[in-house]
Amino acid sequence: MANDIAIVGYAQSPSWRQSELTEPQFLFPVISEAIERAGVERREIGFTCAGSCDYLSGQTFAFVMNLEAVGAWPPITESHVEMDGAWALYEAWVRLQHGDIDTALVFGSGKSSPGVPAEVYPHQMDPYTLTPLGADPVSLAALQARAMLDAGKITEREMAEIAARSRKSAIGNPYAQVTGDDDPDALLKEPYVTAPLRRHDLPPISDGACAVILATADKAKSLSKRPVWIRGIDHRIDIHQPGMRDLTESPSTRLAGKKAGVGDAKVDIAELSATFSYQEKLLCEELGLGDDVEINPSGGPLAANPVMAVGLARFAEAARQIAEHGKGRAVAHATSGQCLQQNLVAVLEGD
Amino acid sequence: MTDAKQPDAKQPDAKQLAAKQEEAVDPSAPVTGMDYFMKLEYHELLCPVVREFADALMDKRLIGHKCPKCGLIYSPPRGYCPICTVQTTKADEIEIQTHGIVTNYTVVTPVQYYGQEETEPFAKVSLQLDGGGTLSLQDLPGVPVEQVHPGMRVEIVWAPDDERHVDDVTNRSWGSAEGAIRGWKPTGEADADPSEYSDKTF
Repeated sequence: MANDIAIVGYAQSPSWRQSELTEPQFLFPVISEAIERAGVERREIGFTCAGSCDYLSGQTFAFVMNLEAVGAWPPITESHVEMDGAWALYEAWVRLQHGDIDTALVFGSGKSSPGVPAEVYPHQMDPYTLTPLGADPVSLAALQARAMLDAGKITEREMAEIAARSRKSAIGNPYAQVTGDDDPDALLKEPYVTAPLRRHDLPPISDGACAVILATADKAKSLSKRPVWIRGIDHRIDIHQPGMRDLTESPSTRLAGKKAGVGDAKVDIAELSATFSYQEKLLCEELGLGDDVEINPSGGPLAANPVMAVGLARFAEAARQIAEHGKGRAVAHATSGQCLQQNLVAVLEGD
Repeated sequence: MTDAKQPDAKQPDAKQLAAKQEEAVDPSAPVTGMDYFMKLEYHELLCPVVREFADALMDKRLIGHKCPKCGLIYSPPRGYCPICTVQTTKADEIEIQTHGIVTNYTVVTPVQYYGQEETEPFAKVSLQLDGGGTLSLQDLPGVPVEQVHPGMRVEIVWAPDDERHVDDVTNRSWGSAEGAIRGWKPTGEADADPSEYSDKTF
C-alpha cells in the first residue's frame, strides 16, 4: 500500500506560439509561483525532478541550464527524465514513498518553436524502420484517426465537436493558446492538413512550462487547507511499432486506468492528454469515462500544447478543479510516444 | 579557421556518398552498421537581455547584470541570478571593463569527425574583467596555445567598425561573440598574482 502524497502547489506559464524568452527564463517565475503557492521554503524541498527534451531545444544538456530556475546552489538532490513532466512527477511520487523527505518540486518545460517538430520527432523513432520514413506525429496520428474512422469508432463530425468544445472551454483559461467559439459544421468545411485530420484536430505548436509541488501526508496537511491527494498512479506501455498494434485500442491506457483505480468511484472531471481530437474518444472509452464526466475543462492539449509540460499541466489543471472549483474526484492522464504508445493515469481526490 | 584542404568536412558530396554506398554493397557480408546523415535546424529569437548585450557590442561596450542580492555579475546577462534565485532587470545592468585576467583555459584538439571545420589545436579562455564580471569561451588570436596560461593580463580587440556584427550571438553562445570581439591581446604587463583570481576560475 502506497503512502498518500498530495499536490500542494502548482503554476503554469502561458502557452506561446513562440516565446522570445529562454526556457530557464520562462521557467523561473513558474517555479517561484508554485513554491510560493505551496507555502514551502525553497531550501526545504527534499527532491527536485524535471522533465524536458534536449532534442526539442536543440541543445545538449539544455536540462542542466533549466536548473538555473530552481536555485541549485548549495547543491540540491535532483533528477531529470527525458519525458514529459508528468513522469518527473511519477519519479518524485516514488521518491517520496521512502518517507525520509516530505516535499518535492516537479517541473516540465519545452520550446517547440525553434525547431521543426515534423523533422525533430522522427529521430526519436526506431532508427532503422521509422526514422528514415520521416514518421512524424501528425502522419502517425492521421493513420490512427483513419483506423478509428474505418472501424466506425468515431466520425469526423465528432472530432470537430471535440475540437470546438475544447476551444470553447479554453476561453476562460489564461494559459491557453487556441480559444474560440467555433461551429463544428464550419470547422468541417476546412481543408485537410493530413487526411483525415484538419487543423482543428491538431494541437498548436507551443512553448511553455508547468511546475507542481508534492508533499507527504502530514506535511501536506500542515501546508494546505485543501491538499489534492494522489490516490492512484500507474504507467503502462504498448509496443513501439505502430504497425504491430491495433491502433483503434489503447490497452496500456485501459490497464493504467484500472491499476490507478479510475473505475472505483464516480469521476467528476478528467484532464486528458488527447493531443489529437480523436484521441479523446479513445481515451474515454479505455478509461470508462461516460457522458457525465467533464473532459478537459481547461481546453486540454488542443488549446495549449507545451510539449514536455503538457502532461504535467493535466495534473495541475485536474488539481485546480479540486482545490479551486470544489470538484471531488479527477483523472489526470499523460501520454508519450506516437499514437498513445505510453500512458500515465492518476486519480486525484480532495479530502 | 576553415581548412580549404578538407572540403569534405563540410557537406556530403553526392558523388562521395554514392561511392560510399557502392563500396558498402557486399551481399554476403552481415550488416553491422548503416550511415544516416541528418540535419536539424533550430531558429530561436534572441531573448531581450541578450539582445541588449548584442546591441552594446555593436557600440563597443560590454554589459552585464549585477545581482542586487549577492553582487555577482553575469555577462551576457541572464535575467536572473541562479544562486540567489532573484530576477534581474535593466535596472541591474552595468558596464564592465574591456581588460582583465585570464583565469583558466582549455586547449581543444579537433577530432576530424564529420562536420568538424577546425584542424589545428586552439585555446578558449575564461576571463575575469577588471572591476568585476567574467566572460568565457574567448580567443587569444596570435598567441601560441603553449603560451596561454592563467594570470595573463589582456585587453579586448574589437572587430573593425565595417566588419563588426553580432550574427553569431545567440541565447546559447554565452560570452562567445567572434563577429564583434576578434579576441583579446596580452597587454605585456606582469602576470596577475594568483590570489587575484584563484577562487574565481571557471
